[in-house]
Amino acid sequence: MSHALRRFLGPRAVVLPFAIVLAFPFYWMVITAFKKTTELYDLSSVPFWWHDGVTFSNIRDLFQNTPYVTWLENTALVGVIVVAITLVVALPAGYALARLSGGWGQTMGVGIFLTYLVPPTLLFLPLSRVISDLHLSNSLGSLILVYPSFTIPFSTWLLMGFFKTIPPELEDAALIDGCSRIQALIRIVFPISLPGILTVVIFSFSLVVNEFIYAITFISSSHNRTLSAGVPTDLIRGDLVLWGGVMAATLIPSIPLALLYNAFLNRFIAGFTGGAFR
Amino acid sequence: MAERKLTRKELVKRAGVGAAAVGLGGTAGLEKAFAFAGPHRYTHNDLKYSLSILQWVHFVPAYDKWLDGTYIKAWGQKNDCDVTIDHINLTELPARAAAEVAAQSGHDLFMLLNPRADLEDQVIDHAPIVQEVNNRLKSKMNDLALKSTYNPKTKRFFGFSDGYVPDPVVWRHDLWNDVGESPATWDHVLKAAPKLKANGHPIGIGMSNELDSNMANIALMQCFGSYIQNAKHQPVINSKNTVNVLKYMKNLYESGMTNEIFGWQPASNNTYLYSGKGSLILNAISATRTPEQLGLPFSDNLWIWPIPAGPVQRLGLEHVMGVYVIWKFAKQKKLAMQYLADLEVFYKGHFLNSQFYNFPSWPKAVPNVGKYLAKDTHKPVGKYTILGRIAQRYTANLGYPGYSNAAVSEIFNTSLIPSMFASVAQGKSTPEDAARTAQAQFAGIFKKWRDAGKM
Amino acid sequence: MLAPVLIAPAVIFILALVGLPLLLAIYLAFSSATSGSLSGHWVGLANFRHEWGNAIFQRALWNTFWFTVISQVIVVLGAGILAHALMHPFRGRWFLRFLILLPWAAPIALGTIAFQWILDPTFSIFNWILVHTHTIGAFCSATGISNCSATSPPNWVGDPTLARISIILVHAWRILPFATVIFIAGIASIPTEVHDAAAIDGATGLKKFWYVSLPLQLPIAIIALLFGIVFTATDMTVAYVLTHGGPFNSTHMLTTWAFTTGIESGSLGEGAAVSLFLLPVLAVVAIGMLIAAKRAEVA
Repeated sequence: MSHALRRFLGPRAVVLPFAIVLAFPFYWMVITAFKKTTELYDLSSVPFWWHDGVTFSNIRDLFQNTPYVTWLENTALVGVIVVAITLVVALPAGYALARLSGGWGQTMGVGIFLTYLVPPTLLFLPLSRVISDLHLSNSLGSLILVYPSFTIPFSTWLLMGFFKTIPPELEDAALIDGCSRIQALIRIVFPISLPGILTVVIFSFSLVVNEFIYAITFISSSHNRTLSAGVPTDLIRGDLVLWGGVMAATLIPSIPLALLYNAFLNRFIAGFTGGAFR
Repeated sequence: MAERKLTRKELVKRAGVGAAAVGLGGTAGLEKAFAFAGPHRYTHNDLKYSLSILQWVHFVPAYDKWLDGTYIKAWGQKNDCDVTIDHINLTELPARAAAEVAAQSGHDLFMLLNPRADLEDQVIDHAPIVQEVNNRLKSKMNDLALKSTYNPKTKRFFGFSDGYVPDPVVWRHDLWNDVGESPATWDHVLKAAPKLKANGHPIGIGMSNELDSNMANIALMQCFGSYIQNAKHQPVINSKNTVNVLKYMKNLYESGMTNEIFGWQPASNNTYLYSGKGSLILNAISATRTPEQLGLPFSDNLWIWPIPAGPVQRLGLEHVMGVYVIWKFAKQKKLAMQYLADLEVFYKGHFLNSQFYNFPSWPKAVPNVGKYLAKDTHKPVGKYTILGRIAQRYTANLGYPGYSNAAVSEIFNTSLIPSMFASVAQGKSTPEDAARTAQAQFAGIFKKWRDAGKM
Repeated sequence: MLAPVLIAPAVIFILALVGLPLLLAIYLAFSSATSGSLSGHWVGLANFRHEWGNAIFQRALWNTFWFTVISQVIVVLGAGILAHALMHPFRGRWFLRFLILLPWAAPIALGTIAFQWILDPTFSIFNWILVHTHTIGAFCSATGISNCSATSPPNWVGDPTLARISIILVHAWRILPFATVIFIAGIASIPTEVHDAAAIDGATGLKKFWYVSLPLQLPIAIIALLFGIVFTATDMTVAYVLTHGGPFNSTHMLTTWAFTTGIESGSLGEGAAVSLFLLPVLAVVAIGMLIAAKRAEVA
């Protein structure tokens, strides 16, 4: 193989197959979202293109007959608030654990991580009790309260690793200049840790969007639901699945989110680089 | 009648939306369905009470629209009550029920789709509602509903069944004609199966971990005289009849079905039929209504028959059983009970708006069922008439000949019956071994719930 | 003394919303609680003993272990290769990266519903491809699937072995992008001095990979593996939505079996006991790997 050809193919030859395998279900989702139901059930039709023409009725039904937009809004709202809470709680905690001397910091770091080992399929029952005692049943507040319980541990652990890479001399210099610890934290450390913060934002947001066990058990009214909970409810009626609608409902948040993650990937890499394992 | 806030015309118009879907072309019956004997008194939005209900997303969207938009508003007006209904996916019902019990708070009325005798301690005794409906309708609920909601040990009603969905066979008349057969008995089915399969149209009876397979397999067992428990609530799965039906199903699979049936979801047997491939499935009439709506080319060739007769009897199972429960912690118990009683007495609206999906547990609640069924205009005209007979004669409760109890419920929910059938059909065990294993499994489950005092 | 104040909110959150409910769940595992009720009689180890003897539980335990291990091996290998290839800038890299990130961006509950259709026994698009490109014969003989032909294509969710493979592959599919990103971070973190030093020492190509790059990436690989293991072993969605534990209860994971037993059947105490089996095993694995990661770090 000529050198030029090898250079052209090189990484692409490796990446392309992966990209095809990973994204290929999404291509199929796009086709299905615009496909007529009768064609979908027709065994002789080609699944990868349209035979009977394109239809917008699936998408129209999704937006008109279900509170899809509301679900998107709810999910976004919960995501933003939970990310904010996570940052507010995890930043100081990560910092403190990073600067904490002795084995304590490391132990607590590991301990925090172990909270992931408890499956929500077990926890949702006692938590239902808590939610109802706090009169948060059937409201987004229940999710806003509970989601940080799985975004905070990860974020704290990540930020802890990240802060460890920032030389204490930087803060000492600020302290000598007359800042208090808190001021040094806010003025010096946090700006440098922007990549780490972005990392936390992206991971926490993706955890929120994916969660659905708490979402379906704490909230029963369709209008108060988030995306993961609302779609299986309104688009799966007994033994009738509205496939076109489900696919459209899946694509609409996935594409922007993937674009977002991609855009932040560079910053994000820097975040991880400084983080987890130093 | 005295003047009403909601004019007759308005009511009729709204009811008409539902009626049109049914193809009746008239609204007189529906209008009467919720003429709650009296004027609508409350015209302002400040209703005194509030009642919260949780139930599944009905397969027929028009039904939920009617229920939410018309029925509960009318009922609420009459009873000075703001009624809200939350609809969730039927697969979420168990988790939601557990969460409400754990939280000791939730909806006043919770509708389940199968009898949950294990919830008895968490709910009130529904006997007063049963009594009221008996009085008002001057008749009793059918045996199916009784055996699904009554605990003979504690003598309590652990639920109130408003209605149920019968489970016929839905089959392609044209395809069966081509092979000169019809599914009158299971023997006929076995005879026709290889010919149908050779024509590219196998039978579609699932053996998967899901609702339809569960129902179909247990119903098939009944036709062969094989049962999970006897009338004394002892597990009797290990019997000659069970071995026979397992052998039958293995034969049927090998000669007339494909391995697709092992990986099904509740929607799968439907889509199998809609693709044109399947020649027979056991399913509620969602399997005929959807083709009608989609305008599938063979929808006029879909016939509805009772379950084929087996060597012992012709007896099917309900597809889903509507069972409402009122939690002990519910705030509006009296109103909830009133709601249920009215629901049953005025069941005609529910029967019609659900396109005949929902049948009343008190047969007298909709006395001339046959008349409505015959009026359905979809071809072949009158094809839904048989549904009345199926509902009355050929629908047994889960746990027949005994009562539905927590043990039967667990066996159902862990899909042990389809597992048994599948392992024999796939050659993983012999019918005799499978029956024996099942007996041991069931014995353990029965003992557990008996020890817990629930049976 | 500032430190405790800064850590306190995080600790309180976790203790209140994870720790306390966990204690309650542990109590439930030792009780006869049923149907959502949060109380019951003390039954000691009865639930654990009963489940331990249950064939379905044993299968679920086995499955949880193997699904996790195999899917994560695929993920780590794939992510490692992919990350390396993505380090070199090339035209179209941004777009290909976008495609690769899509599985991670899709909410898992919805993505798995899509896979229901993709793997459907009648409508599977894989089978469609195999049949219509006439490669099904070759595929069947190459893989040795029984009963496999153009008229009887593989049943991706109805045959026990294929169903397990399907679940493993869907798990791998959704974790791969996440792991790739972690790997990219790891590779990017290798300081350029290391590359220079290696070049000076004459280590290139495979030698460099084995002696220099791989050891430096080991900590990050272990972290990626750890997260993948945790997210896969504690996940209920994929197995539940695809097979609901079937065919004949052969594809249950501990999480789905716990849910079926505890919630759908009402035997809450038993369900809690099944869930708890995960906890000590994963804890040991996690701690072990974190220690290994620490040791593998180059100062």
